[in-house]
Amino acid sequence: MSLQVVTGNHAAGYALSVAAEANRTGRGAACGIYPITPQTEIVEYVARFPFTKGRVVPVESEHSAMAVTMGASMNGARAFTASSANGLAYMAENIMVAGFYRLPIVMVAVNRTLGPPWNIWVDQGDTLMLRDFAWTQFYCEDNQEILDTTLLAFRLAEDPRILLPALTCMDAFIVSHTQMGTSLPEQSDVDRFLPDLDLPHRMKPEEAKTLGGLAWPHEGLSMRLEIDDAMNRVPEVYQECRGEFMEVFGRDPGDVIQAFDTDDAETVVIASGTMATTVREVVRARRESGERIGLIKMKMFRPFPEAALREACESAKRIAVLDRNYAAGMGGIFWQDTRAAFQGHRNDLMIQNYLTGLCGGDVTPTVIEDILTDVQTREAAGEPAWIGIAAGEELNA
Amino acid sequence: MIEIRIHGRGGQGGVTLAKLIATSRFLQDLSVQAFGLYAAERSGAPIQAFCRYSTEPITNRNLIYEPDHVIVLDPTLVGPPIVAGLKAGGWILINSPQNPTDFADRFPKNRIATVDATRIARDNKLGTRSVPIVNTALAGAAGRMLGFPLTEVLAALEHLGFTGGNLSAAERAYADVQRLDAEIEAEAGDEAVAAPVAGRGPSILRGAGGALPAIKTGQWATEQPHRRQFIPPCNHICPAGNNVQGFLNALAHDDTDGALEILLRTTPFPSICGRACPAPCMDSCNRIEIDGAVNVRQMERYAGDHGNVTIEPQSSRDERIAIVGSGPAGLTAAWHLARFGYRVKVFESGPEIGGLLRSGIPEFRLPEDTVAKEIDRILGLGVDVETNHSVDRQGLLELARNHDAVLVATGLQEQRDLQLGMHGTASVIQGLDFLDRVHRDDVRVDEEDVIVIGGGNTAMDAARSALRLGAASVRVVYRRTLDEMPAIREEIDEAFEEGVQIDFLTQPIALNEAPSDGVRRYYRLTCQRMELGELDESGRRSPVPIPGYDFDVPCHRVILALGQSPDVSVFPEGTEVREGTQLLGLLETPVFAIGDLATREGTVAGAIGSGRRSAVHIHNVLSGEHVMITEHAEAARDVDVWCDEVIRADALKLHLFERQAGVEGGSISLAERRSTFDEVHMGLEDTAEAARCLSCGVCNECDACITYCPEGVLKRVGHELVFDYAYCKGCGVCVAECPRNVIFMSHL
Repeated sequence: MSLQVVTGNHAAGYALSVAAEANRTGRGAACGIYPITPQTEIVEYVARFPFTKGRVVPVESEHSAMAVTMGASMNGARAFTASSANGLAYMAENIMVAGFYRLPIVMVAVNRTLGPPWNIWVDQGDTLMLRDFAWTQFYCEDNQEILDTTLLAFRLAEDPRILLPALTCMDAFIVSHTQMGTSLPEQSDVDRFLPDLDLPHRMKPEEAKTLGGLAWPHEGLSMRLEIDDAMNRVPEVYQECRGEFMEVFGRDPGDVIQAFDTDDAETVVIASGTMATTVREVVRARRESGERIGLIKMKMFRPFPEAALREACESAKRIAVLDRNYAAGMGGIFWQDTRAAFQGHRNDLMIQNYLTGLCGGDVTPTVIEDILTDVQTREAAGEPAWIGIAAGEELNA
Repeated sequence: MIEIRIHGRGGQGGVTLAKLIATSRFLQDLSVQAFGLYAAERSGAPIQAFCRYSTEPITNRNLIYEPDHVIVLDPTLVGPPIVAGLKAGGWILINSPQNPTDFADRFPKNRIATVDATRIARDNKLGTRSVPIVNTALAGAAGRMLGFPLTEVLAALEHLGFTGGNLSAAERAYADVQRLDAEIEAEAGDEAVAAPVAGRGPSILRGAGGALPAIKTGQWATEQPHRRQFIPPCNHICPAGNNVQGFLNALAHDDTDGALEILLRTTPFPSICGRACPAPCMDSCNRIEIDGAVNVRQMERYAGDHGNVTIEPQSSRDERIAIVGSGPAGLTAAWHLARFGYRVKVFESGPEIGGLLRSGIPEFRLPEDTVAKEIDRILGLGVDVETNHSVDRQGLLELARNHDAVLVATGLQEQRDLQLGMHGTASVIQGLDFLDRVHRDDVRVDEEDVIVIGGGNTAMDAARSALRLGAASVRVVYRRTLDEMPAIREEIDEAFEEGVQIDFLTQPIALNEAPSDGVRRYYRLTCQRMELGELDESGRRSPVPIPGYDFDVPCHRVILALGQSPDVSVFPEGTEVREGTQLLGLLETPVFAIGDLATREGTVAGAIGSGRRSAVHIHNVLSGEHVMITEHAEAARDVDVWCDEVIRADALKLHLFERQAGVEGGSISLAERRSTFDEVHMGLEDTAEAARCLSCGVCNECDACITYCPEGVLKRVGHELVFDYAYCKGCGVCVAECPRNVIFMSHL
């Protein structure tokens, strides 16, 4: 293990590479990949990595990148890729296919605003657009977490009870391009944590079969239900993987949701990514002045950890959901699923949505203070509140 | 927690400086962050980088709005933005050779430090001279400013793999940094923090969505592109001075009339040269390096035959000019002088004008109507002609008295001889006399064995004419080898095709009568076998006889084609006959010798060049103007730099040109060639061949530069290429993409 000052991209590239390299005694490593700002450093890292078995395949587009990755995965390689924003949109058709094929691919996504208007900064709209594609999704707040979660994602995805691809996400620039002290694990430890991949439905020349051919309605339904079963098993299997991770690396990769000071909290803030770091500091300060306030950091978004969320919010009267994303015609995407999680369980709970930090806006402590003041003084939940822009002003078309 | 903001330019290493500072603290077990503020900037753009360090875990993931200290990598960035939000009492470290006190007035609330990191970087050879990498020097200075021991700064550098000059630079900057730790009116936090945006921003519906502020990115440039022009090798070598590249470019754009107009600026004989020129332009063509020379000769013929241009004299002038001789030199001079507006009269000793153009080149190479058409164009300018008018020494004096200038263009009248014996018999004839008789339909050689002596075009023309006139056999004897033959190579090949034999390394020494075959007189030409020896004054290896190796060749007729020399008897004895040298010095009237008489070049193209140079010279003498011969040939182009240099293939980007084989053009059948005087070459049917011209060193408006400019700062206005230097960052893509080396970069 070595401690180094590296970027989030470097940390993610390292995790993808050593995880895939760990499969060298199996069917090797494989990756189809295409660069896009701010993910390009990951491409550079994995392209330089001296894989013992397997290779990185440069392609002409994200769509082909996922196609190559899927083909390799079907043949038993530990397969991975990385992308961002409009690259993910272009890749989307094959991202969905990978999920429904049940291929244990791991992809790192750097959350970047979908253009237009053209914008390279953070916004989670790009990965949340993929939420229904049968991938597990994890949002990380710093370099160590993206590294650890990416390693853990391979273990989770390849578990025979799961066999679903995994997406690990980090904020553009705030994580991807920020250099921080990071612990880079030894290959031997990674080898220990990630045994060779043994894909049950691997394509074999001696055993001809078709994956994903025509299915009648009841057959298709059955396959969807299998995915639902696998998704339902994720919380439990995740805890097993987390435990083994701690055993091998001596460090906690973090729970699927991370509650901070929520035990007796009346006000709970729900946030993800680097916003959670800043909220945690504001909450800590308010706690010191006696407020009953807490934070829930949403690390896992798919499957949505409903039960854990309800449990952590038992004492809450009001919840502020911070969304660095926007589903047109609805509001914040974390907010929608949060509301659904409490539907029929807690009809007394006020759940207010705050759209903040969209399109790369900086979510400062001042912004969070304003949100907390608003949620604590509000009588009832209303429409999602747009932060950083004056309300009520009509478009002067 | 300490927060530092770094101001630099893209490429200077600001983000690495942030990482260096962060790493030096990380190695002391502090919590750190280092990051840049990224957007669409590239090399040279003002950028910011940030660094935080703290003994506690850092919980802030925001930009730095109120830095404790700032570092400025580029002294040109010193201005209000560097102190935005800066805490009072914080350090401002500036890369500058100036003293900190020089900045004290501008930043009264802060402590100033300066270090000449640029010089330190250059001394340690870090980066390039134009873009020195100053970050490691500044890491040393920042370490001193922030109170780190030097060892901790160097440890960070080594941890990140820096060695050698980078360590020396940091060490020297650590020692050299000058600090002004003056009394500060310390009022912390009175700089405004960036306020959240109030109200709505731009609307994509109003067309303003997401527009970045207009930044004059041209000020980041360290180099700028410009357009220049070289001399293409074809233009350089053309004896007539034709703008070969120019007329080919016009043809390539389907502008046949324009091509003819360009040619007529230099030559009145494009249709003639398009058939009879040896075309040295094709031998020098850079396209040979790709897939063969452009067929310039055929393209000139096309322009001459198919173009349609009406030329009027520029003005009307009173001066009268006499021209003696109506060969290509005399007629070219007449053409240009008439275009200047002079009153020109041509005196020709023979019955028709045209000189050797009519009598010296047979019909199968140069049809009579082609010659007539081009001569008519000259006469159409109002040139007077007097035929059957010989000019002797007295006559020349007479012309000089009656005219404002006289040009003598009598060419090479004296045909060289070889003392073989049997002269005066009808069976030994000079080549040009033979061709003249062919032209007048005054000779037959049916069933004869004909020998032609010589290796020039006259020899080839005579031999091929003899074949067409019924000769039983035609042999050319030449004393050197194929490589030394002065005739156009194509004509030699065609003579071979038609059945002419050539005996190389053969020197005739005697001609004797042989026993008659009963029908005609028969001769025996005794020849010597030769071998090549030393180089002579013409640069060719001179033939020397191989002793005891003589042999006889039987024949009915011998044609001598040994070349010609000038007849200078018209001038006073001892006159030096050279182009541009005034003759008959006793008279005020300028009298010049031109063409082969003056230059002895012996080609139509050479005669045209001499005729034009002399016409411009006379015009300058008579008018007092100073028309340059190059301006006379070519309309001025809008380029930044004229390079008086011939551009060779290695200066072109040959890989950017598509391969495309040239076209030869068809010929009539061999049977027709052997029996008729019909023109052998049929000419090309279109101008596609012209598009093969590489336009070496001359912009032909291919606009690859405009297509590939990543900034969109290039545009064409008419024939002008306009660079928008306000936004040109000097990336050099236009230079890399210009196939013909027309664009170059200049340092700013």
